[in-house]
Amino acid sequence: METHFTGEHYLPGLLGNFFIILSFTSALLATVSFYFASKSTAEKGNSEIQTTWNRIAHYSFFVHGAAVIFIISTLFFMLLNHYYEYHYVWQHSNNEMPLRYIFSCFWEGQEGSFLLWTFWNVVLGIILMFTLSAKSGIKPPEFFNWENPVMAIFSSVQVFLTSMLLGIYFNNFHIGSNPFTVLLREHPDFSNAPIFQNAGYLSQIDGRGLNPLLQNYWMTIHPPTLFLGFALTLVPFCFAVSALWQKKFTQWIKPALPWTFFGIAILGLGVLMGGAWAYEALSFGGFWAWDPVENASLVPWITLVGAGHVMLINKKKESSSGMLFFLAIITFLLILYSTFLTRSGILGDASVHAFTDLGMSGQLLIYLFFYFVLSLILFFSRLKELKTQKEEDALLSREFWMFICALVLLVSAFQISSTTSIPVFNKIFNSHLAPPAQAIEHYNSWQVPMAIIISFIMGFSQHLKYKKTGIKKFIIQVVPSVFVSLGISLLFGYLTGMLHLKNLLYLILLLTSSFAVLGNLDYFLRIMKGKVAGVGPSMAHVGFGMILFGALVSQSQQKNISTNVSGVDIEQVSKELQNQENTLLFKNDTVPMGDYFVSYSGKRKEGINVLYKVDYLSKDSAGSFVNSFSLFPRVQINPRMGNVSEPDTRHFWSKDIYTHVTYAELEENKVEESDFNEPENHKMGKGDTIFSTRAIIVLQEFNTNVDRPRLGLNDSDLAVGARLNVTTMNGKKFSVLPVFILRKNVVFPVYDEIPEEGLRFTFGKIFPQENKIEISVFESKKKKQKEFIIMKAVLFPYINVLWAGSILFFLGTLISVYQRIKKNIFHLKSTKELK
Amino acid sequence: MKKAHLIGIVIIAIAIGVIMSTLSDSSTYADFSEAFANPGQEFHVVGKLNKSKESIYHPSENPNLFTFFMNDNKGEEKKVILHKSKPQDFERSEQIVLIGKADGSEFHATEILMKCPSKYNDGKGKLWGG
Repeated sequence: METHFTGEHYLPGLLGNFFIILSFTSALLATVSFYFASKSTAEKGNSEIQTTWNRIAHYSFFVHGAAVIFIISTLFFMLLNHYYEYHYVWQHSNNEMPLRYIFSCFWEGQEGSFLLWTFWNVVLGIILMFTLSAKSGIKPPEFFNWENPVMAIFSSVQVFLTSMLLGIYFNNFHIGSNPFTVLLREHPDFSNAPIFQNAGYLSQIDGRGLNPLLQNYWMTIHPPTLFLGFALTLVPFCFAVSALWQKKFTQWIKPALPWTFFGIAILGLGVLMGGAWAYEALSFGGFWAWDPVENASLVPWITLVGAGHVMLINKKKESSSGMLFFLAIITFLLILYSTFLTRSGILGDASVHAFTDLGMSGQLLIYLFFYFVLSLILFFSRLKELKTQKEEDALLSREFWMFICALVLLVSAFQISSTTSIPVFNKIFNSHLAPPAQAIEHYNSWQVPMAIIISFIMGFSQHLKYKKTGIKKFIIQVVPSVFVSLGISLLFGYLTGMLHLKNLLYLILLLTSSFAVLGNLDYFLRIMKGKVAGVGPSMAHVGFGMILFGALVSQSQQKNISTNVSGVDIEQVSKELQNQENTLLFKNDTVPMGDYFVSYSGKRKEGINVLYKVDYLSKDSAGSFVNSFSLFPRVQINPRMGNVSEPDTRHFWSKDIYTHVTYAELEENKVEESDFNEPENHKMGKGDTIFSTRAIIVLQEFNTNVDRPRLGLNDSDLAVGARLNVTTMNGKKFSVLPVFILRKNVVFPVYDEIPEEGLRFTFGKIFPQENKIEISVFESKKKKQKEFIIMKAVLFPYINVLWAGSILFFLGTLISVYQRIKKNIFHLKSTKELK
Repeated sequence: MKKAHLIGIVIIAIAIGVIMSTLSDSSTYADFSEAFANPGQEFHVVGKLNKSKESIYHPSENPNLFTFFMNDNKGEEKKVILHKSKPQDFERSEQIVLIGKADGSEFHATEILMKCPSKYNDGKGKLWGG
C-alpha cells in the first residue's frame, strides 16, 4: 500500500543531504592533500608536488566551507518555511514562533549545535589558511610554512564533525544524525501515528516549537559564543600537534599566540554568559553552582589560560615546552571530553541540565580516543627532543611565577574534572558513587586555596621582569599595592560583614583578590605610566581579580532574607534538619524581610507565564508604607518540561535582590459546588442576627444601589442586595452582599461568598407582609486557603563587581590580542623591508 | 634542580589529596534498605513517587516541609520528609533522586532532583494539538 503524500518538499532534503556528503568528502580530501603537502615540506626539493597538493587542499577546504554554509542555509530555509515533514523542523519550530527565535531553534537540537561548531571552524579555518598561506607575501626568511600541517589537523577535525551529520546506518550502528533525511512520518516514534493515513497530513500539522524555557535572548547569544570558544581551542591544538610532528618546537608560538588569547577571551565570555543566564533566568539561586555542565566548559578554559601564559614564557626563552605542549593539547581534548560528558547522557542524575543520549556517544568516544591517542603518542615520542632547561629560573623572575600559576591552574582543572567525572568512573568501574552531597562546599574547599595562590601571584608578578629582577627594586615597587589592597579589603570586609566570618580562607582570598586588582592597576598607572601598550594585560588581570573578588563577596555573603516570617513555630515539626529558606506570603499580607517589608499583591497571566507581583515596601518618616520597587517572579506553564519557576532580580549598584517563587497554587482558588453542605435557611429582618456553625451574621441593611452592569441587569430588572456583616468564630469580620433579582416574575439570586472561610450566602425570597427576607447560608466541607505564594528572597552584595570584572577581563584580553596581532604584522613588515 | 623537584613533590601530593577528597566527599547511590541500615549516613536514593498515596504539603503551617511516599528502584516504599518547599510540578516527575539520611522509619531529604521530560530532547511527543 503506497500513500501518495501531498505538500511534502523533497528538494531541500535532497540538497541538504547532498551538501552534507559534499562537506564530508571535501574535508576528507582537504585532510589528505594537506597531509601530503606537509609531508613533502619535510623532504626538500619537492616544492612542485607540494604546491600541487597544497592547491588541491585549498580548493577542497573552500568547497567544504561552501558546502557547510549551504547546509546551514538549507536548514534555515526549511525552518523559516515550516517544512514539518522533516523531523528536525517539526521538533524545534512551530507556526507561532517569532523570527528572532529561528536562530535559537536552529541550534536547540544536537545536529544544529554540531553545525554551529562546524560553521565556526570553517570561518576560523579560512582565516587561518589565509594568514598562514605562503602566498600572502609578508613572510620573513626564517619563516616555516605552517599552513599544510596545521590545516591537515584542522581539516581532520572537520571530517569528524561533518560525520556527525551523515546519518548512515551499518546494521545497528549509525554514524551521525542527519536532519535532512529523517522524515517525520518515518521517524520510529511516529511511524504508526494515525494522522499519516491522511495523504494531506501536512495541512493539519504544527511543529512542536522551541522549548519555552529557551525562548529568551540568552539562547540566542550564549551558544554561538560558547561554540566559537570551543572552535578557537582547536587552533593552538593544531599548532602544537604540527610542531611536534614537524619537530619545529618554537616557531609556532608567535602565530598561535593571538588565537590562543582570543580563545581565552571568547571561551571565558561564553562560560560567564552561562553563569549570567543561570543567575538571571534560571532558578539555581546563584551564578555558579559547580554543575557538571558548567564545569565541562570551565575546565578547558582554565587549561587554555595556562597554555596562553606558558606560551608567553616560551616566546622569551625556550624553557617549559613540555608543559606548553601538554596544556595546548589537553585543552582541545578536554573540549571533546566535555562534549562527550554533556551529550552522551552519562551525567544522568548528576546534572540539572538533563541532556539525553542521541545514540551518538559511541561516535563521540571514537573521536575523543583518536585525538587522545594521536596527540599523546606524538607528545611522548618527542618529549626527549624537547629542550630541557640547563639552569633554573630565578626566583625573582616573571617566568618562574607564571609557570607556578600554570601548574596551579592545571591542578585546579584536574580537581574539577575528577569530581565531575564521578559518573564516568561509575561506568568504567561499575561503582555506585554519587557526586558529593555538599557539592559547592566540596569544590570550594579546593578551588578557594587555588584562587588564593593564583590571585596572589597575579598581584605581584607583573612587577617582576623576565629573566631576573633586583629584589630591592621589586619590593619598592610592590609595597604600595600591598598596603592599598590591605586597606580596600578591610573596607569591603567591614562593609559586607566578612570580617566576622569564621572562614579564614575566604578572608585571605578577599585580600589576595583585591591585591590582584590593585597590583595590576598600580603597575599600569605607576610603572607603565598609563601607556596604551600595556593596557590589555593589565585590564584583563584587573578584570579577573574583580571576578574573583565579586564572586567571593556575593556568594559567601549572600543573605537569605526570606527566612520564615510567619511567626508560626515550626521547630516542633522538623528537628535537626531546619531549612527555612522559603517563606509563605498570603495575598495582601505585609511581612518584614531584610530591610524591607514585602507584600504579594496578585498575579496575572502573560502568554504561558504567570507573573506574581511582589512589592518591596519601605517605611517613610511618617511610618506609612511606600513602594520601593516591585518584582515579577514567574512560573512558566511549560507543556513540554512541566512548570518552571523563573526568578526576578532587582539590581542596585551595591547589591541585588533576587526573588523566586518556589511554589504557588496554579488553579483558581474557588470553592467547588459539590463541596457545600445543604444550606440553612433563615428568615431575617433588618438588624436581625443569626448564628451558623461558623459565623455570626447580622443583616445590616437593604441596598438597591447594586452594581447593575457587573450583574448584567436590564433596566426593567428589579434588584435588591442584602448587606450582611459576618463575624467568624476566630473574630475575623467580613461584609458580603448577596443580591435578589426579579426579572419578569422570575427570581434569580446571585450569591456572594467568603472562599477562605468556606461560606456562601444567597438572598432568595422576600416576605413583604412581615418585612422579612430569606437568607440561605451554605457552609463548605473544607475551608479554602487564601491565595498565597511560597517565595525565597536572597540578597547578593556587590555582585556588580563580578559583572564589571567580566567586561574588563573580556575587553582587556581582546585589546591584548589586537596589540599582539599588530606587533606580529609590524615585525613581519620590518623584516621584509630589511630584506 | 632542587626547586623543580620540590615543586614536583608538592604537585603530586596535591593530586593525591584531590583524589582522596573526591572519594571521601562523594556520596553513594543506594536503595532504601541500605540507607535504613545506616541511619544518619548521607545517601542518594533514586526512585519513583508513589502516586496512590497522598503527598502532604501545608504551606501555611510550614512552607519548608513536604511529605510524600517514594518507591525506590527495588520497589521498597518509604515515607519521605523533604525539608524544602514542594517542588513545582512535582506530580509530573518521572524519576526522583533524593539526597538525605534515614531517621527512624522516615527518610529525611535535604535535596531533591527530579527528572522531567528533558529540555533538550524528549523523544516522543504529541503530534498535533495540545
